[in-house]
Amino acid sequence: MSGTVTKRRPKSRVIISKKIAPYIFLLPFLLFFFAFLIVPLLYAFDLSVYKKTLVGGTRFVGGENYVKAFTDPKFWDGVLTLFKFGLMQIPIMLGLALLFALILDSGIVYAKSFFRVSFFIPYAVPAVIATLMWGYLYGPAYGPLTQVADALSLPRPEFFSAGAILPSIANIAVWEYMGYNMIIYVAALQSIPQDLEEASMMDGASAFAYAAKIKLPMIVPTIIVTIIFSIIGTLQLFAEPYLMINLARNVINTSYTPNIYAYTLAFTAQQINYSAAISFVLGGVVAVVSYVFMLAVNRGDDK
Amino acid sequence: MDKKFELPPMTFGLGRRQFLKTAAAGAAMPLLGGLHAFGQDAVNLTFWAWAPGSDLMAKEFEKKFPNVKVKVENVGQGGPHYVKLRNAITAGTGLPDVAQMEFNSISSFKALNVLADMGAHGANSVKDKFIDWTWKSVSDGDKVYGIPWDSGPMGLLYRADIYEANKIAVPETWDEFAEASKKYSAANPGKFLTNFGIDPGWIGAVLWQAGARPFKVDGTNIKIALNDEIAKKWANYWQGLLDAKAVNTMPMWTAEWFAAFDDGTNASWLTAAWGPAVMSGSMKNSVGKWRAAGIPQWNKGENISSNWGGSTFAAFTTSPHPKEATEFAMFMGGDPASGRYWNEKQFFFPVLKDLAADAGLMGIKYDFYGGQAVNEVFAKAANEVDPSYEFAPFQDYVNTLLQDELNAAVGGKGTLAEAFDRVQATVTAYAADQGYTVT
Amino acid sequence: MSIAGKSQKSAKFRCNRLLLTAVLGLYFIYTFIPIFYVITASTKTNPDLFNTFGLWFSNDFHLWQNLRDLFTLYDGIFLKWLRNTFVYATVSAVGSTVFATLAGYAFAKYDFAGKKFFYALVLGAVMIPQTALVIPIFLLLSEVGLLNTAWAVILPSLVFPTGVFLMRAYVDDAISNEIIDAGRVDGAGEFHIFSKLAFRMLMPGFTTVFILAFVANWNNYFLPLVVLNSPENFPVTVGLANWYATAVGGTGGVLLYTVVMAGSLVSILPVIIAFLIMQRFWQGGLGAGGVKA
Repeated sequence: MSGTVTKRRPKSRVIISKKIAPYIFLLPFLLFFFAFLIVPLLYAFDLSVYKKTLVGGTRFVGGENYVKAFTDPKFWDGVLTLFKFGLMQIPIMLGLALLFALILDSGIVYAKSFFRVSFFIPYAVPAVIATLMWGYLYGPAYGPLTQVADALSLPRPEFFSAGAILPSIANIAVWEYMGYNMIIYVAALQSIPQDLEEASMMDGASAFAYAAKIKLPMIVPTIIVTIIFSIIGTLQLFAEPYLMINLARNVINTSYTPNIYAYTLAFTAQQINYSAAISFVLGGVVAVVSYVFMLAVNRGDDK
Repeated sequence: MDKKFELPPMTFGLGRRQFLKTAAAGAAMPLLGGLHAFGQDAVNLTFWAWAPGSDLMAKEFEKKFPNVKVKVENVGQGGPHYVKLRNAITAGTGLPDVAQMEFNSISSFKALNVLADMGAHGANSVKDKFIDWTWKSVSDGDKVYGIPWDSGPMGLLYRADIYEANKIAVPETWDEFAEASKKYSAANPGKFLTNFGIDPGWIGAVLWQAGARPFKVDGTNIKIALNDEIAKKWANYWQGLLDAKAVNTMPMWTAEWFAAFDDGTNASWLTAAWGPAVMSGSMKNSVGKWRAAGIPQWNKGENISSNWGGSTFAAFTTSPHPKEATEFAMFMGGDPASGRYWNEKQFFFPVLKDLAADAGLMGIKYDFYGGQAVNEVFAKAANEVDPSYEFAPFQDYVNTLLQDELNAAVGGKGTLAEAFDRVQATVTAYAADQGYTVT
Repeated sequence: MSIAGKSQKSAKFRCNRLLLTAVLGLYFIYTFIPIFYVITASTKTNPDLFNTFGLWFSNDFHLWQNLRDLFTLYDGIFLKWLRNTFVYATVSAVGSTVFATLAGYAFAKYDFAGKKFFYALVLGAVMIPQTALVIPIFLLLSEVGLLNTAWAVILPSLVFPTGVFLMRAYVDDAISNEIIDAGRVDGAGEFHIFSKLAFRMLMPGFTTVFILAFVANWNNYFLPLVVLNSPENFPVTVGLANWYATAVGGTGGVLLYTVVMAGSLVSILPVIIAFLIMQRFWQGGLGAGGVKA
């Protein structure tokens, strides 16, 4: 296809050529994208190379905030916490999502659509409310799980102890986002054409085995995408631990995750400039981890 | 041009910003100007506060000053409220005319050069009505940065039933308190005389009572003594109770924490004068079993209290109506009728001498406290507050660090004394970084 | 025949079926417990909330009173919050979905200068932490005088890079180049092709992105928290969190946990109902997006 179709149009309507059309389609999105993402980002970068102090005002400091961020143990402790968190939460969440998606897709359970929708519902619960719910359920003295343990004379579960807090938060994240990932897998599995008759011949076990052996490899690209989104989501973890600070003050502090740290710096320590630098370094960490993961996946493909 | 569109002197922000603001104000003028065309003196004030009843009392103010309209907005309780104020300062626009400001936040906002001097608008005329230490905490000579609202002299609330059943005498000194705690918890595992929950305001208040004076600010010079001998002694005291498992470590202000007082897990609460109302409003089973007493003393026979919480009304330099803002603050805090309302309806502890000395008011007997006139206990404490305690010009940051480090210590990372060392080191570095001369 | 084959294995099939259904049933219980807690808590009086077992109802059924309190406290401001949330979420979701669809279509069906650059920019945007953007956005909005208005919440929410990413994949999958070329041969203009031919075929993808955007905006907390001051402008998330803090602080007076719980229940119900109604229409969009990515 070359040239425009304009000259063949009989009507007098304004026709935009193929060359210009994509820009016009992109225009509304890019307009807001620049206004509310790129410009704020540049603004943030601008902030990150200055330093405003209570005494002495604002001055240009170049890379000073970045040097500080790279050597700030609070920041890197937070990153380490998130690595631990991600290594625990992502495999469980995506593993369950995949398992349930395969079960639902193999069509051998009762009430398929009921399960599909109800597993997805936690995604609709705001993090504020989800944390409130789980915070209550975890309650070390009066939570229902403690009440049950007391009734059975079992030791009380300690969800807020130093060793358990990370799994406790991970559990909330699994609860919130498992269904979302499952739905993505279900949809991906369903878009694979299959021999209906062959499937209907199978009993439950072999249908599941078929799904795992034949279909699973076909949705690997989808799985990779969900892993990347999960990595990004993990490194930006904020709401759940932040809202739980007051329930588990002994183990969650104001630099528990890099995002909470950036928030504290900006909003209570009056270090907006340093906070911006921390955010940029975090963005860099996210990009590097995602890139390394993609590289690992591609290398695996080559073999 | 209508007076209310005059821009305040810009102490921060950029020229471009000012231009945009002017443009925006100009654009808004036809609309707003139309609305107030006939009330040429009409002044609009915005007041940010989270204390309940603020809107009601603002209405009372409007009755007395019909030319002033007050818009009351609750932008969040405590922390979020200050975040909003600070954001507005950063943006250079959006500050209210008057805001609720706790005693311990005044120095922080003073350091940002945004608190209006209400002394220049007649605030000193009400000076003598206020309990001395409260006025000293908000003023600097003739400069007045806030009108006191309510205060929180420290005392002790305890469960008379539990104390009696376990033959615990109400402790007069901290040594007696520690001894009783250890004995009680040893005999009743899982039960505690009190809770060591880390609210930075509470930490500050009990340190204050112990004699600690962590900050001394003089212009851009600052003295920081967060880990001096007094703080260490205090830390070791509580560390002893923690090590003996003789004190509960539940996080404060959670539903579980309230329930622990109600069901007798915690038998007392070292708290401020506003504590009795919080307690009686939250307990269901322990009604009538609570009593109030003075806070334990470090040396027998002394009478030293301190303050936890309590608020003031502060006006901002950005307000185009400093006169009306001051009048509003003076009415809300200094008018005897408002003072009475805050005390009777909202259970705020008074800052006005007349009210604190009012036998009728202080003598009210509460069923929740077994018929005790608890206000009398705290009225006595109010006279025992030493006003020489200073807050840091970056108190929120200090509070964050105290919370992080002391909680870590309670959670098993070293001792409380070591936590104070860490806070001292971090705060010293921070102050230097912020341009202060640390002496 | 298949029927014969099935009946031969039917005992084993049924056994597996029961087993797998039980596995899903267990996870359903896990999913439902926290929600059930909100339901029971909404029906209790405040003392009962702490004195009765959390995961069952108490004898005193207090739901109607809690709901009445919820909708009448502070002159019924909760209803305003619901309305605000609905307006913010709907306008943001419609806008961002339309923009994402147009952009996704452009990325999928055209070659143009700067395509790779722009697409990389969009993907990279997903990696930027929200906290990095909120302060600059706040400062920018304050410069143009939009703070504390609906626009302060809506305008930044119109940017939904994930939506562009999903729509690009969906367009790739759902619309073949032949269809577009056929349209061109027929003499249709580019916009005509999009609006009359392509858009209808994109409906499942459009619905999917719309739902994701709607949920994200319905649950948005951080942005409105920073850019709004007046309670009458709050969405439900910010308002409820405020009430919760007050209820916990013990200074709330009439504000009780149970009312906050009833508010939580009321605020999640509309989204759940919307899911149930719309679920038939939308899941297709995600599959294509995932496989092709």
